[in-house]
Amino acid sequence: MAELLAMQTDFAAALRDSGRMSTIERWLAGDTGHVDRRVAIYRANMVAAADKALSSAYPVIRQVVGPEFFHGLAREYQRGTPSTSGDLTEFGARFDAFLATFQHTQSLPYLPDLARLEWAVHRAYGAADAPDWDAATLAAVEPDRQAAIRFHWSPGLAVVESGYPIVRIWTIHQPGYAGEFSVAWDLADTALVARDGFAVSVSECSAGEAAFLDESLIGTSFGDAATAATCSHPDFDLGALLARALSARLICGFTL
Amino acid sequence: MTAAIQTLAGTGIGLRQPHYREVFERLPALAFLEVHSENFFLDGGASMHALERARAAYPISLHGVGLSLGSADRLADAHLAKLKRLVDRVEPALVSEHLCWGGVGGVHFNDLLPLPHTGETLALLADRIDRVQATLKRRILVENLSAYVEFRDSDMTETAFLAALARRTGCGLLLDINNLYVNAVNFGFDPVARLAELDGAAIGQIHLAGHTVVDDCLIDTHGSLVCDPVWSLYEEACRRFGPRPTLIEWDTDLPALDVLLSEAAQASAVARRLRDQEPAHG
Repeated sequence: MAELLAMQTDFAAALRDSGRMSTIERWLAGDTGHVDRRVAIYRANMVAAADKALSSAYPVIRQVVGPEFFHGLAREYQRGTPSTSGDLTEFGARFDAFLATFQHTQSLPYLPDLARLEWAVHRAYGAADAPDWDAATLAAVEPDRQAAIRFHWSPGLAVVESGYPIVRIWTIHQPGYAGEFSVAWDLADTALVARDGFAVSVSECSAGEAAFLDESLIGTSFGDAATAATCSHPDFDLGALLARALSARLICGFTL
Repeated sequence: MTAAIQTLAGTGIGLRQPHYREVFERLPALAFLEVHSENFFLDGGASMHALERARAAYPISLHGVGLSLGSADRLADAHLAKLKRLVDRVEPALVSEHLCWGGVGGVHFNDLLPLPHTGETLALLADRIDRVQATLKRRILVENLSAYVEFRDSDMTETAFLAALARRTGCGLLLDINNLYVNAVNFGFDPVARLAELDGAAIGQIHLAGHTVVDDCLIDTHGSLVCDPVWSLYEEACRRFGPRPTLIEWDTDLPALDVLLSEAAQASAVARRLRDQEPAHG
């Protein structure tokens, strides 16, 4: 396997860095000009694959920056964070960190948070289907045991906190959005991402709700999560959150 | 690897997301639908639901683009496990992969990169295909590739390589007529002569697609109609090997569903015409 491994290592280097074409030329038939033109096809394919995968996960950011700039972002992201798998589902997982440090996106400081929101939406679309659950079983829990309930949240549920109005930005970039486009830039949104059936919704939630969900999502009991959220956010309305969670089918079970 | 390779007959199309709704509403008369395996490495959701609906109405062909059978350093066990999970879930009629590599040293290019056709590569691919077939507990098809570069140390043609691979592993072959034509133009060989190197019994499926013509060569883009020389080569393959399950493959600049169905009808007409000409065939 020595020859094949050496060839692939050289081919990979030439794909990632056009300055290293000489390493691959010894393996390939044809003169330098021919090899350069043909390897350039593979290099373009490589960037196109990154662009396609990121466009699928980050359609709002693509709209915000425009497709040409986005293509450049895909190329630069891939350069620093190359795909490690033949499955591109997870390729964009670190796009937020890239956007936070990339020189040419510093004028759009909300992009990293928007990326985290879009990634949560992307993950929610492919999350497991929630099992059928009869919410009436919750009402059957004896009052003195309710504090010990650990909720099972529907797969894909996520909370994304931001110092920017990311829910508003996300909403006005959705296909079919017909409202007005103003954005109050001094607002800060916390986004709740949830699957309901096969649809994915993005809505605002309060800081208290986010505090409760952050605890409950990692398995903290209902009582402890509620106490934590109420202490840090005295205005936290537990009843309103539970009503919302049950009506939107955010909960799909519990353990005691 | 005893499963019959010829589990399908007729023409299918690649099922792509913009066509889901129309396909499910119209249920066009097709022998099968093909999807890219990696698009369904998901736990659930709308895409998996669409695949289940498709599976309820048609046999499914799972076509992999990311397993990277030819990566010299390792076979991606995690990827194979995801494919296994999907195969178990879908129970497809066909499972196919490409004669290619896609990454090395922990970096993946998510492309179908060509391999030198040497004894070393053959030994590696045979080992990998044995492992994949043992894991999936079924025969897979391996597809010939469109390529833009040739290796100095290749000592056999791609078709001879694939024929040897099929003999050694019992795998089937997916003959992509467009890829064969693209390479014939890019490297200047006679594609009909290459067909003669294949054992027809190993061919389990045929792919037809369009390509893009650029200054220097043809690029396999799956974004246009099947061209006349590819139709002619398809007819030659059908004459030589008999009809095979045939797929119209279209990935970029996806047209209306009816365009794909029209291409599929044209492929079916080729097979029908040949059968009528040679009623005693086979």
